[in-house]
Amino acid sequence: MKPFLTSLVVVAALSLSLMGCSNSTMHSSDALQAEPSDLYKEIGGRQTLSKVFGLALTRIYNDPVIGHYFDGVPKSHIRKHLTAQTCELIGGPCKYEGKDMKVVHTDHGITDKEFFILVEYVQGAMRDIGLTAEQENQILQKLAPLKSQIVYL
Amino acid sequence: MKAPSNLKLIFSASLFAMSSTALADTGSKLLATGGITSFEGSAGGGITPWALIAGYASQEEINATANVQYLSVGEYQLSTFGAAVGAYDKFEFSLQKQSLDVSSGVVTNVFNAVTGGPTPSIIAPSTKIEQTIIGAKYKVFGDAVFDSNPYMPQISVGLQYKTNDSFDNSLSIYNGAVPVPDTGVPMLLGAKDKSGTDLYVSASKVWLGIADGKNLLFNATARYSNANTFGLLGFGKGEDDDYELEWAASLALFSGTNTIIGVEARQQANRLGGLAKTDTVTDFFITYLPSKEWSITAAYVDLGNLPFQEDTSGIYLSVTANL
Repeated sequence: MKPFLTSLVVVAALSLSLMGCSNSTMHSSDALQAEPSDLYKEIGGRQTLSKVFGLALTRIYNDPVIGHYFDGVPKSHIRKHLTAQTCELIGGPCKYEGKDMKVVHTDHGITDKEFFILVEYVQGAMRDIGLTAEQENQILQKLAPLKSQIVYL
Repeated sequence: MKAPSNLKLIFSASLFAMSSTALADTGSKLLATGGITSFEGSAGGGITPWALIAGYASQEEINATANVQYLSVGEYQLSTFGAAVGAYDKFEFSLQKQSLDVSSGVVTNVFNAVTGGPTPSIIAPSTKIEQTIIGAKYKVFGDAVFDSNPYMPQISVGLQYKTNDSFDNSLSIYNGAVPVPDTGVPMLLGAKDKSGTDLYVSASKVWLGIADGKNLLFNATARYSNANTFGLLGFGKGEDDDYELEWAASLALFSGTNTIIGVEARQQANRLGGLAKTDTVTDFFITYLPSKEWSITAAYVDLGNLPFQEDTSGIYLSVTANL
């Protein structure tokens, strides 16, 4: 019993201290006027995000499973919106002006599998453009909650 | 560390399975989100199940995993292997075989202790305790990684039906005599039953990028069990068949894109006491996931207490292949 409690305390203390480390990198995302977040500046801002989504979308448009969802939609249009949306979510000086996420994805029957295929392309593009694993994780932290506005609507 | 030959065979078989699936579809979920395989066969950390479902099957897919594991603590070596199927990111079924090698020295000591130390004292050969575990897990709700609520964990319930195949396999001594017929090590140490079912609830949560940009996982598991030393020493004691609540917790940090380091602790109800006294199990593990096809885990584990084994810490190795 006693060693278990000790280990539990160690586990809890570790998690608290680790979470403490990240406080400095958490910012509210709706502060359009405010100073951009450290993460935004660190990755090279909107230009880098635009490169990431340019590369990811080229691959997504050619994917045999999910490419068809984008038939007739100009790549530049999606790229602009994804860049602005991610920029805003990570605390950059941008505003997503695209359609409501739920509305865009409703009635397409987008599956769990298709969602993961897309996420892996975005991850791959972040790596190829040169973002670190830590930057990638922090960006995904902001994008992950969007899943409920994409899959099976 | 001398691996038994059947372990080598299993190892090469799983390596073969890995290479032959290199081009196959392992399932769509993201790397590491199926966890690794615990020594009881359920997806988790090393010593406790997590709420995650084994493998990389998305809500539309069915995928499998196969694992081989080896744990060595002084006079005890546990070899285990098995397979699991994850379906629709909702159900998990697993089958695991465990084989615990107990050295001649320990068996002799146990024998003499429980038989009151006859003179001349008995010298017994080493023995194997074997156990089969059938596991099932059901994800009740939540998504450990993608839930939009940062405090909402993924919750799963599960069971592990365990049969101790050595419960009443009597031990013979070197001259071929069987001093205590129809009585295996678990019975000698006071266990009542050959089989038992553990029930558990697990809650897992992954926070992306939260620990200095690294992903952090926390899992807590509450287990309702009447197993002695995971069932390797049988179930219940005397007339006492009461289940007790045992807790386990894991904390894991995803470093870079394919490495996990973690610490775990698992409580055990000290039912048998005496020689078979149990204590909290802890481990520190590092997992390397070169691809979605397979992962390898090395751990430093402390089993807390073992009969006639002073230092209860040792090495734990585990390989999981995703099929």
